[in-house]
Amino acid sequence: MGTMGLALPWKARISSTLRERGTRVEPSEQFTGGLGAVAADAASEDAALAAACRSGDLRAYERLYATHGARMKNLARNVLGNPIDAEDAVQETFLKVQRSIAGFRGQSSFVTWTYRILINTCYDARRSRLRKKEVANHDSEETPRFEPRAPGAHPSLRMALERALAKLTQHQRDVFLLYEVEGFRHAEIAGMLEMSETASKNTLFQAKKNLRQMLEPPRSSAAEAR
Amino acid sequence: MKIMNVTCNDRDRIFEDGTLAEWAALEAHAANCLLCAEELRAWKSLSFSAQELRDYTESPTLWLRIERALAEEAERKTQRAERRRWHSFFQHLPVGWQMAAAGAFLLVLTVSAGWFYLHQPKDGQRADQSLLKSKALKEVESAEATYVQAIDKLAAEAQPLLENPATPLLANYHEKLIVLDSAIADLRAQAGINPSNAQLRYQLLAMYQEKQHTLEEVLEAKQ
Repeated sequence: MGTMGLALPWKARISSTLRERGTRVEPSEQFTGGLGAVAADAASEDAALAAACRSGDLRAYERLYATHGARMKNLARNVLGNPIDAEDAVQETFLKVQRSIAGFRGQSSFVTWTYRILINTCYDARRSRLRKKEVANHDSEETPRFEPRAPGAHPSLRMALERALAKLTQHQRDVFLLYEVEGFRHAEIAGMLEMSETASKNTLFQAKKNLRQMLEPPRSSAAEAR
Repeated sequence: MKIMNVTCNDRDRIFEDGTLAEWAALEAHAANCLLCAEELRAWKSLSFSAQELRDYTESPTLWLRIERALAEEAERKTQRAERRRWHSFFQHLPVGWQMAAAGAFLLVLTVSAGWFYLHQPKDGQRADQSLLKSKALKEVESAEATYVQAIDKLAAEAQPLLENPATPLLANYHEKLIVLDSAIADLRAQAGINPSNAQLRYQLLAMYQEKQHTLEEVLEAKQ
């Protein structure tokens, strides 16, 4: 795997925020015992939301949107590459939830189930877009093309990361987006992507290793930096 | 908390699935190992960089779109449920009741068919309509016959003059009457085939009127 030719300012980005992030990302899942009550609350809230949605209460869907809409749209945007398709995918997801809520038996949390539907909807949208491209005899590029969005603190870093993500396998990209960008736990990702928790951890490790290889500075400049 | 010992070889395993204690041990190890310090920084930088892909800006119209779509879907769902309820209502009826319902339906169908059969226009009504037509036709034919009789009387009076015309004018009248009689015969033949054709009747009437005028002129010429 070749480098992206865009060196990340590694040292400049290591800050207190990073430390916080690092603490959440890597070892936080070990603290499960002390969070039992919080987890129970979340579970009962999730079950109540599912029951309200099952009863056809539109306010429940609004609550779901208020809590997760922005995150769902962001995830869809990162998978599909543009905000218009992302909004369509989120809308389609809500409709699918409404259509199939009667079949939801609580095997996973309602929110996890909703995100699984969103991810599958994004896959469908991408497949459909690819088919249309093939029919139109256009360039059958499978990876999403990212449209400009609100500028962040490091636009070049974001672009480099988007390009690198596009080169990962679908699973690696999805696990990275769900874990690192959206902040889901491995247990939740495992439910969404229908894989084991261990597989989720391993996939994230491989994804980050590949991204590290793609984004690392050329050896010479790295040596100069030292 | 006692910090455990880790080496460079443990780094990847900890990156993949390290416990909190192992991460702390790796941090401690990195303080004295440049390579692990660099790797640790790079690893954490990826997590930090990922925040650049987070854009939770509100989309003002998205919820409205979703809400409308959900409401429409709920409406369709209600309609489908209504149809299913009727369908399942019949499915869950005992066989005896299903037979009874089918029998009742057949009965209603038969009664309706009978009613329509009994209330459709009858042959007599159709005959009445044709009688009206033939009645009018008979009136026309009767008037025509009377008119023809009156003209025949005129013709009988003019007959001697026309058989031996004394003047060229009378000879011309004679020839004209022969042509008119021929035309009248043709028109009557056509009227016989199509008795309700009013146009033929008008032409025939015109011919009779012309014959009447001609005969009157013959009789005037005699005087």
